[in-house]
Amino acid sequence: MIPLPPRWMLFTGALAALALAIPPVVIARVRATPDPERAVHIFFDMDFQPKFKPQGQNPLFADGRAQRYDVAGTVAKGETKLDAHLFEGVVDGKWAEALPAGLAMSDEFLARGQQRYNIYCSVCHGYAGFGDGAVNKRAMELMSNSEGPVNGTSWVQAKSLHDPLVREHSLGMLYNVVTNGIRNMAGYGAQIDLEDRWAIAAYVKALQLSQNASLQDVPPELRDNLKKGEVK
Amino acid sequence: MSRFLFPRWSNLLLPTIIVAALTIPLYAVFFVAYGFSPETLAVGYQPPQPVPFSHAVHAGQLGMDCRYCHTSVEKAAHASVPPTQTCMNCHTQIRPESPKLAKVKESYATGLPVEWTRVHKLPDYSYFDHSAHVNRGIGCVSCHGRIDKMEVVYQKSPLSMGWCLECHRNPEINLRPTSEITNLAFDSATDLSVEQRDALKKKYHINPSEDCSTCHR
Repeated sequence: MIPLPPRWMLFTGALAALALAIPPVVIARVRATPDPERAVHIFFDMDFQPKFKPQGQNPLFADGRAQRYDVAGTVAKGETKLDAHLFEGVVDGKWAEALPAGLAMSDEFLARGQQRYNIYCSVCHGYAGFGDGAVNKRAMELMSNSEGPVNGTSWVQAKSLHDPLVREHSLGMLYNVVTNGIRNMAGYGAQIDLEDRWAIAAYVKALQLSQNASLQDVPPELRDNLKKGEVK
Repeated sequence: MSRFLFPRWSNLLLPTIIVAALTIPLYAVFFVAYGFSPETLAVGYQPPQPVPFSHAVHAGQLGMDCRYCHTSVEKAAHASVPPTQTCMNCHTQIRPESPKLAKVKESYATGLPVEWTRVHKLPDYSYFDHSAHVNRGIGCVSCHGRIDKMEVVYQKSPLSMGWCLECHRNPEINLRPTSEITNLAFDSATDLSVEQRDALKKKYHINPSEDCSTCHR
């Protein structure tokens, strides 16, 4: 049996071995908890370059934006909006009844309209257009709070797109509502691309038709199928 | 003066030194690999934001599509943070007097942007393109995690080069139909069969490059 070293030495050694366990524990804890100060950088390389990224800040400008607006009163090349039908939905001073030149009705166009509608419109108007979207439901709950509307909420029930008045809207009018808003609804011109706004208008027309069609709207060769369905 | 004699216990020193010489380098390697990795240094970054906006409420509870606010994600490299107008589409009427909205209303009145803190940072020498990914079957959740369950957004993925390459070398596991891009609950690994994912790979012509210049230019 080899005699052991003095106790103080054994003790120090054991302590050092224990201390080695601390860093892994700290690291494991760091990895398991979200932290507001995480951005530790050990190797900087060229991670941060003196350039501006989208939506970044530039302290040289009073508003702090790195991205600049067009100079007031100027129009960039190719950005003139002279086509009243395409940009405003107006033909000869009246709401357009048809799609502008360059946009054609097709299954893909309507599918695109449906997809965009589901993203931007369904939140209030609901997927089927009855004005029963999730945001509308939540807002109506806030309105019917027993102690009065919460935090100054003043919501008006989102319009059902199957409302007789809305049904009357022409394609151009619907396009204009999507673009510029109406009554309490904000305009979505900045959020949705031009063609997509027309696609949404077309899809809304299709939605309306889906709830308000007669047998005459069905192609003759398909009418029998529909009748069979009714019998069932 | 008697001669110094090593005490008998010093015979233990040699094996101790050998063991230490073997384990300490291993320990150092482990420490750097585990402690300095982006999983430790970057994942979990959850900076405080100027407005207590809850993705859990908007994207989760209300089920709003990611693209309602982040409109440029399908068209541009950068997935835009929405302008104040987008908040005010609803909040002119919903809870306009909530103190949580003070900074948003101030921004709406002054025209100065809300100064959100960026969570997901890539090094300035790498050029990631959101549109290239979301239009070809890589969903938001693959990199950002379940944002619809986060009260305050935190970084879910390391965003390191090794992590990027993992997917570029084996993209099938993350592919989903473009119709499910923003569906954060959709899990390609369990909701799609291997054949379906392979079919998507063909359909979207997925052939991810591993060249340096793909991301560094």
